[in-house]
Formats: sequence, structure tokens, C-alpha cells
Amino acid sequence: MSVTWAMNPTLPIVLPLLGAFLLQPIARVSAALARAVGPAILIACLWVLTETWLAQGGRPFAVAIGGFAAPLGIVLYVDRIALLFAAAVPTFALLFWPWAGTGQEATRESALLLLLVSSVTGLALSGDLFNIYVFYELAAVASFGLVAIHATGRAYVATIRYLLQSAFGSLLALVGIAILYTKTGTLNLAHLAQLAPSTLHDPLGLASFALMLIGFGVKGELFPVNTWVPEVYATAPARIAALLAGLVSKLAVLVVVRLLVLVFNQPEAAQLMLVLGAVGMVSGELSAWRAKDFPRMLAFSSIGQLGMVFIAFSLPGTTGVLAGLAVAFHHLVVKSGYFALAARWGGSLESLSGLGRRSKLAGAIYVLFALSLIGVPPLPGFWTKLIVLVALAQHGSLELVAMAAILVVTAIEANYLFRLAVVLYRKDKAAPAGPEARAPGLGVGLVAPLLALVLLAATIAIVPVTEGLRKVAAQTVDVASYVRTVFPPVSLPLAQKD
Amino acid sequence: MTPVDSLFLVSGLTLVVALLFGRQRLTASLLVALYGAQFAALVQTGTLFGDPVTASFGVTVLDQPMHWRYDALSWFFAMITIGAGFFCAWYAAGVWQEAHVKRGHSPWLFHVALAANVFAMVVLLGSGDFLSLFLGWELVSWASFLLMALGGRASGRAALRYLTYAFSGAMAILGAMALLYTQAGSLEYAQVGAAIPKLSAGQLWVLLALLGGGFAVKMGLLPFHLWQAPAYAETPGPGSAFLGAISARMGLYAIIVVIVSMVGVARLVDLSIPFTFLSGRDLIAWIAALTVILPTYTALQQHDARYLLAWHGIGQGGYMLLGLVVGNAVGSAGGLLHIFNYALTQAALLMAVFAVVHRTGTADLNKLGGLVARMPLTFLVLLFGIISLAGLPPMAGFVSKWMIYRSLITEGMPLLFVAAIVGTLGTILSVYKLIHNIFLGQLRLEHEKVPEAPLSMLIPMLALSTLIFLAGFMPGPALSWVAEVQRLVGLPQVQYSLGGVVDPRGGLDMIWLVSILLAGFGVGAVVFYGFGGKSQQVHQLNNYAGGHFLTADVRYQYSDNFYAGLMHLIGPWYRGAFRWIEDGVGGVVDLLSYAMNWVYRSVQPLVFLLATTVAMLVWAAV
Amino acid sequence: MMSLSLEAILYTGAIGLVVIGALGLVLSHHLFRMLLSLAVAEAGGNLLVVLAGYRGGAIAPILGYGAPGTPMVDPIPQALVLTAIVIGVGVQALAVAVLVRVYRAYGTLDLRDLVEHMQGDIAKAAGIPRSTSTHAPGGERPLPPVPALVRHQPRGGRS
Repeated sequence: MSVTWAMNPTLPIVLPLLGAFLLQPIARVSAALARAVGPAILIACLWVLTETWLAQGGRPFAVAIGGFAAPLGIVLYVDRIALLFAAAVPTFALLFWPWAGTGQEATRESALLLLLVSSVTGLALSGDLFNIYVFYELAAVASFGLVAIHATGRAYVATIRYLLQSAFGSLLALVGIAILYTKTGTLNLAHLAQLAPSTLHDPLGLASFALMLIGFGVKGELFPVNTWVPEVYATAPARIAALLAGLVSKLAVLVVVRLLVLVFNQPEAAQLMLVLGAVGMVSGELSAWRAKDFPRMLAFSSIGQLGMVFIAFSLPGTTGVLAGLAVAFHHLVVKSGYFALAARWGGSLESLSGLGRRSKLAGAIYVLFALSLIGVPPLPGFWTKLIVLVALAQHGSLELVAMAAILVVTAIEANYLFRLAVVLYRKDKAAPAGPEARAPGLGVGLVAPLLALVLLAATIAIVPVTEGLRKVAAQTVDVASYVRTVFPPVSLPLAQKD
Repeated sequence: MTPVDSLFLVSGLTLVVALLFGRQRLTASLLVALYGAQFAALVQTGTLFGDPVTASFGVTVLDQPMHWRYDALSWFFAMITIGAGFFCAWYAAGVWQEAHVKRGHSPWLFHVALAANVFAMVVLLGSGDFLSLFLGWELVSWASFLLMALGGRASGRAALRYLTYAFSGAMAILGAMALLYTQAGSLEYAQVGAAIPKLSAGQLWVLLALLGGGFAVKMGLLPFHLWQAPAYAETPGPGSAFLGAISARMGLYAIIVVIVSMVGVARLVDLSIPFTFLSGRDLIAWIAALTVILPTYTALQQHDARYLLAWHGIGQGGYMLLGLVVGNAVGSAGGLLHIFNYALTQAALLMAVFAVVHRTGTADLNKLGGLVARMPLTFLVLLFGIISLAGLPPMAGFVSKWMIYRSLITEGMPLLFVAAIVGTLGTILSVYKLIHNIFLGQLRLEHEKVPEAPLSMLIPMLALSTLIFLAGFMPGPALSWVAEVQRLVGLPQVQYSLGGVVDPRGGLDMIWLVSILLAGFGVGAVVFYGFGGKSQQVHQLNNYAGGHFLTADVRYQYSDNFYAGLMHLIGPWYRGAFRWIEDGVGGVVDLLSYAMNWVYRSVQPLVFLLATTVAMLVWAAV
Repeated sequence: MMSLSLEAILYTGAIGLVVIGALGLVLSHHLFRMLLSLAVAEAGGNLLVVLAGYRGGAIAPILGYGAPGTPMVDPIPQALVLTAIVIGVGVQALAVAVLVRVYRAYGTLDLRDLVEHMQGDIAKAAGIPRSTSTHAPGGERPLPPVPALVRHQPRGGRS
């Protein structure tokens, strides 16, 4: 079928990329123009994606880049889940855009953000494994620059540690890709899906999955490659932490899910993901219990929630993907909202004493997000937990252990979140503040209330939201349809090895 | 628009009115009227003597339908809930509210919290399947948290402790629900009830542990009871009365719905604990019995009147469960009736105590005394309350306790009977301490001019005491409600009359009993006032001790360390074992958290990465 | 007796490079040495990818290089490796830039000291008192001022 230029899925990738590199020259010409370019590009991307959704109505399609057909050429695959994640990227980038910045630093940050947006959209839309690897590395480089944007010593140390861990993880992913290529001779996801049952269901295939899981799991905050998370979220500006924790991590998880569903459709691979996710969840939430400042508490909580995302996605079938999508999007909204609050609440937890009384909106938003995060009905967080728990209870004993772990960990989460809530609503006066501590601001900005409204809207409209997610999930696990879309029924000669 | 819809609507309207207009002074009276309207709506549903009524709305999320309905059991609990809300709101409107504002709190928050509690409980009691049960359960838990956190710093701490316990319990319930769904394929009561008989003994034990544990946390059964006393005691005024009266009984409602109704006492008797001669029912009965004894003797040692009554609340919950689990007609009726009687009693007692606090400024039993001279009506309310709490005729508490004792004997459980009696002994001792230290003895200098409790507080208290007496004098109507509940739940129904229980082997007729008692008082009064000769009135402070006249400027009141001898005997037994367990759990979490933090703070995180990679590769190869 | 085919030697070499690099990353605590170990490991990884396309006795994949019909090695991994090398170089350049900044900020490249500095700075910025251990009730001994760092710190007592 023909793709009109307004629906061209390369636009959301190419436009921000161009914008990132042209931003500095434009800034020399006109500062006002440079400030407008970023948001304009993001809105254009959003428009293209909306057009695509409306025109296609959920039917998947594939686009071969440069005219080279699959499996030798790179393919962009656009289905519901890809569109959903790709649309989330410019939305949240707009929400966390540095509107208030001026001058060189703002231009730099905008350029890096556009680079991040481009690469992360590529992660969502790409259908070729090495293409995904390249976009992943691009996203990593952009995030290194963004973490260090405020040029403090501690940010640099956190950046270099993040860099070393990420680079080593990527190296392991590359080795995994090498093993994959050796066994199958192709890197196109659809072609791999066809070849996987005969070639990859053996220890070497599982090893390649393990290596790729670790490699792509660095951004997905998977245990054990998530030690960078608390340092980076404590030293990077809260906006960047919001984007990394909320948005980029979910895209990394999407990559792993595509691999799991299409290529490594074996119970051992799922079990591996379940175990790592469970360990990550337990370690993250337990560490959060002792956190003494708000950004690090959020960092550990984020590790815990992403562990639960991995647990959810490791379950087979539509229910697994539905559960994972529900947890992932819920976390996206809530964690972004929390980091929006953290932009002004950067001090120690004790310094937040009495803040809820002085700024009622901030306190109310905090409590709302906390209730949803721990899963109090009728908020959406409860439904996500219910799907995950019910799905876990129906499988074997390993899943039952994971279910028990989720229940215990949620109780601990409730304790530390509401410990802070009690501190927020305390009546007595001034709390100890360090010499450099910023006094917590009273306003909440726009982002946090906006996200709170989104959450409330999702609560009221919970039935259509879950039904929509179920359709997305059903399409995602339909491997046959994926293969059919990329390879319309004309058989291709498979790559010959000799 | 079914009657249940209108009940939900009026209840929600109360909450909305409290939210919007809570800051105005007249709203308090409006709210009292609205609680009365809720009561009327409840009576309108007519489900007590009729069939269950379903609400017209329902929601289906993720293929799980949620619907709400009211039956006789819901009616019984809702009647108590709305009644408690009504009386507490009545008490709060007026002088108490003004004093609350003067202390720097917000009356708006209080009214909203109370209305939210009543609404949440109304929703919980109407649940028609496990999912709506969980929804209502969480709403009730969080509404209680809101009410508890309203006081100062101490109440915030107690509320956080409550939250940790309550949420852990809720997670246990959620886990049980997930397991039940796997077994039954649905969360509807009918399907789950059909699937439960097919469960093996091991599965049933897991279910009982999870569900029973979760519900027990709310009820305050051992060993999950440590949060309840501080949380209820530190809640301001009428909130504490409301929580003490009915809040913990929500756990009992859930236990009745799931364990008594779906699992059934007979199945519990068949479920034996391996390597012992005990059954599941014995286990629950002994947990209930220990809940009766241990917190009651803890109450004995308290010197804060609110804490004393709050610890009693835990103990009396044990009586209710004990009666229910015995399972025969009289016993289960006694357990259910005790819910009603105890709600009246606890509300009256706490209202009286808070009236004293309002007038004197303290609830410390070592700093009060002799107030009967200044606050005689409050004394009367407290007197009625403690007679009922101790389970002595002619008050309501006697009826339900008598029924429980009798059923324990007829069912052949003598040890449990002794345990119940020991609990009553503790109750009698501690309520005597309560009334003596506050009202009897010598009046303190600083309380010489204390006036009687204000009218806005006095009238609800007196109304409750009248109800306590009437419920004791003529327990018939209450027993009729209880019989309907028994019919619904599947327990054998009690035979009742206006005066009490009808039983060929020896029933109870309170009308005769109270008449004889009053006649006895009458005879005594005639003898004392008529024939007894002149008695001389001596001033209270006219004392003589050990060859020395005591002067009026030094007051003697025996209040501190009231039961010194008894404490000497049983004191060493109270080693704080449960607190040790609680601290232990907290310590384990702290240790694990420290270990995880160490992992994340390590200088060489790549070690873990490498170790995990190698482990995975080895596992993949194997 | 292992058959020492060329392929086996090359695979061993590539995996060996990765292992050497990994060990270097893990065992070293000087940032620049860690970066060099990373470079070595990346070289090993790239070699592995190229080896995936190796065909015994084949020629280089250049059009017109040999007679038509001669087997060629698989060109795709070579294209992939070009990309991977460029990515690797880019990341290493960025890492060196960050290293320079780190040195300017703290005067040292020793990871152990840097982590202490970073944690201390985070705690100071947030207003959290650093040491709550009963082993050091008076707090940690403060690190000497930058850049005159002398590494005599006791290795124990770190929490």
C-alpha cells in the first residue's frame, strides 16, 4: 500500500535529527527562532504520528528504507504498539522541554533532547536488529550529554560511571548480536521470527538472548545493570531524570519485548527475564526504604517498578503484554509526575516537612500519585497490579514466588511513600537544611497537575483504556501477522551460508 | 432506581456536602440530619426481613464485573455504622467543634473524614463480589487513615503504623483473590463459593492464612493488634468513638462473608492441624480467646482513659469472633449481638471520657478524681457503659456475653469458657479502675468548679445510655435482626422472645431479670430510706487515719498503680513479646534494605554485572 | 588434542580480548585504564562480529576482486562492524572529554575517591548529614582539599 508523505514513519526520526544538528547554526542567526524550532519539530512529529494512526486505524504496515527490500534492507515496522510508544515520545519531550532556558546552555540541551527524541523514536519503529542497536547507542550518547548538562563535578562522575556501564552492556549486546547472526544469517526481526524455531532454541540462542537482555536492559534499569540509576537521577536535573526514568526506559523495554515475542519465544528466556525482574524489583524497593532524599527515593522506586514491568512482560501471551503495557504506561505517567515535583523538592526528605500544608496542590498530587503507585482502587495502578497478580497466579511456582515478592514489596512501598506523606503534612516548623540545600518551592508548575489530571481521566475511563491496551497487546503477540506484513506472501530466498 | 441506589446516593451526598460546606458552622447540624436520612434510606431498602436488593449500576473492568447488593448481613452492619456516624456527628456538632477549632484543627477535615468513613463502609457492606469487596476494603482503610491522622504528631505516627499493617493485610487479601481466581475462574461470590469445597486441605490453609490474616489485621486479632490502641486513642474525640464502635468490625464482616458463610464452620472443624488433635475451628477460637485475655490485661495497666478503652476494643472483638466460630444458634447469635451491643457501649464510654477531657483538659487517670460531684450525668453514662462492658445485668452487654458463655458450655469447650471468664474478670477490674479514678474518690482542687458536660454532648450520651438499657431490658428486637442475619449466612437461627432467648434447657428472660433486679433495688431503697433509722451525712473530706486528722487542703486519691498486687503477679508475663516480633520484622526489612543499598553504592558495580553474565551463560549452557 | 584451525584461534582471540577488557574494567580503578580496557573489549567484540561472516578460503567482498563465482566472505558483518567501530570511537571520545572535566573538578581519576566525592557532594547539596554509623559517630574524616590529594585513606569503614 502506498504511504503518503504525511504518514511517512521516517519523518519522526529524521526531523528531530536534522533539528538537533541545525540548532546551533540557527541559534547564531536568531535566538528566538532557535527557541521555536525544537517544539515545532516535536509538534510536527506528533502530527505525523496522529495522521498515521487515523489513516491506518491500527492496521500494521512496513516501510523499506532506501528502497532496499527486507531482509537485506532495513525495515520500519509501524503497528499499534510502535505508534503508541512513538507518540508518547514527543508528547513527554514537549512536557519536559526546557521552556525557560535561554542562551548557549539551553540550545545545547535542546539539541541533545532532539537527538534523544529521534533515536528513541527509532527504537520504537525499527524492524531491524542492528538498526535498533545503532539507535540505542545514539540514545545513550544523547543521555550522557544530558546528564552532564549542568556541569557539576558530581554530574560528571555519575556520567562517566553510567557511560562505562552502558558501554560495557552495549558490548555484550553486540556479542549477542554476533552470535545471533552466526546462527541465523539475518538481522531482520521478521526474518528472525521465521528462522527462530529451528535455529535459536538451543543454549547458544539462549545465551545470545541473555547477552542482549543485559545490553538493552541497561537503559531499562534491569538488575544488575541498574547501579547507575540512583547516582544519575540524583545528579541530573529532574527534567532529564523524568525523561530517562519515564520514557527512555520504556522504549528499552519495548526492544526487549520485541525480541522476546518475535525471536526468543521460549519459556527459558521468559524465566530469565522474570528472575532478573523480580530481583530488580525487590532490591529497588528495599533500597528506597532507606533513601534520605527525594530524587534517590524516586530512582530506587523506578528500579522497582521497572522490575515489575519486566516480570509482567515475561508472562506468555496477550495477558503478559497487556499486563506489561499497563504497568509501563502507568509508571510513565506517575514517575514523570513525581520527577516534575522533584524539580522543586530536591532537598533531603526532612526539609520537606510541612510542605503539604503550605502548598495544598503539591501535597494532594503527591498523595494521589502515591495511592496509584501502590495500587489503591479505583485508581489505574490497582488495575495494573491486579492484571499482573492474576496472570502470575495462573502459572507455575516461580511465578507464585514472584507474586508473593510483589505483594511484600508493595507493602514496603506503601510504608516509605506514606512516611513521606506524614512528613509533608506535619505541623511543626523549620527542618534542618544543608548549606547548599535549595528551599523547596511552593509552586508545582504545570506538568505535575497535568499528569495528575491524566491519571484521574484514566481512572474514570478505565474500561476503554484497558480495552484499547488489550487490542494493542493482541496485535503485538501475533507473530504471523508481523511476518506477513514485512514479507507479503511472496517467498524470498533466504540468505545462503556456506 | 433501587433502594440501594438511593442509599449510596444519600451517603455520597453527605460526603459532598461535607467537602463543599464543611467550613460553615451550621453544616454540622445539616450533616447530622443527613446521617439520619441515610438511616431512613437504609430502612427503606427493607432487606432485613426481605430478599437481597441489588444496585442498578455495575462496572466491568478487564472482564471482571463489579456489582453491589444489600442483604440482611449488610443491613445489620450498615445500621450500626450509620447509627454510630449519626451519634458521633451529633456529639461533634456544637461545643466540641468549637473547642476543636480553638485547638487549631480544622473541623472541615473532621467532617469530611467522618462522612468518608461512613460512605466507604456503606460501599464495602454492599459488595457483591470479591473485587468490589476489595475496592470497599481499601476505601475503608484509607478513610480510617484519614480520620486517624487528623490529630497531632503522635496520631500521625500511630496512623502510619496502622497504614503499614492495614496495607500488608490488604496485599495478603489481594494475593488470596488472585489464587481464588485461578481456582474458581471468577471473583463472584457464587462461583468462589462453589469452588471452595473442591479445595484441598493445603490450599484451604493457605487461603485461610492469607484471607484470615488480612481480615484479622483490620479486626485487631492477635498478633496483628499492636496498631489499634494507639491509633484509635490518639484520634480526636468523636472520631475515636466512631472508630472504636464500628471500624474494626469491618474485618468481622469480611470474616463472616468469607470464612463463616463460604467456607463454613463445619469445614473448619474437618480441617485438622497435622500432628495435633486441634482443628481449624479450634485454632481460630483460641486466637479469639487469647485476643480476649491479653489486651484486656494490657488495658488494666493503662493510665490514659482513651488507651484503656481502646485496648478493651481489641479484646471485645475477640468475644465476637469466639461466639461466631462456635457456630451453634445461641453462640453465633451472641457474637453478632455483641457487635451491636458493644458499638453502643464503646460509643457511650468514649463520649463520656471525651466530655471529661473537654471539661478538665486531661484524660490521665492519675490526674482525675471525685468528679461524680460535679458531673453526675456523665457519671451515669459511664456507669451504664461499664456495667454493659463488664457484661453484668441489666445492661445490653450481659445478654450477648451470657449467650456466648452458654454456647461454649453447651458445645463442650470448657477451657475456652474459662478463658472467656478470665477475660471478663479483667474487664471488670479495669472498668472499675476507669470509673473510680475519674469519678469516685476525692475531687481535686483544680476541678472544684468544673461544670457538667455541655448539653450538645450530654444529650447524645444520654440517648446512647438509654439505648444500652433498653437493649438490655428488651433484647428481642435486636435478636430478631440477628436471627435474620443467621438465616442469611447459613447458621442455625436462635429462638428469641421479647425478653431474650428461648431455650428448653434454660433460656434467658431479661424482662423478668430486670424486674426482679429493680424490685430488689426498690426493697433496698424502702429499707434504707424508710426503716433504716437516721443516717448521718459526713463530708467527704472529713477523714481520720492513723491517729491523725487529715486536713482538707491535701487530697488523697488512690489512683496510681491501682492494681499493684495483681500487677505484681501477672506483670512478669508481659514481656512485650508481640512488640519484639514487630520490631524484629522491622529490623529484617532494615537489614535487607541496608544490604541492597550497599549493592547500589558499591564502587565496582561491574563486578555484579560480570558475575550475573557468567552465571547466566552457565545456566544457558546447562 | 585440539585442532588448531584458524577459525578457532581467531574466535579464542576475540573472546579473549573481550575477557581481558572485562577483567580490566572490573579490576582497575583508574578511570583512564578502565576506558582503555573498554576499548580493548570493544575491539574483541568487533572482531567477533567480523568472524561471524568469515568463510573459510573465501576472498574479500569487493566487486571485481576475483573471478566471478569465487566465494566471498559475508559483507554484512563488515558493514556492521564499521558502524560499531565508529560508535565505539565516538563514545570513547566523549568519555575522554568527561574524564577531563572530572579531573578538573576533583583533581583525581581514582574511582574510589571520586565516588566518595560524588556521594559527599550529593549529600551536601541535599542537606543530608553523611555519616550515621555507630563506627564513626563523629562523621567521616573529611577528604583533603582538591587537588592536593594524598591517597592514604583507610580502605575499611566505608558504608
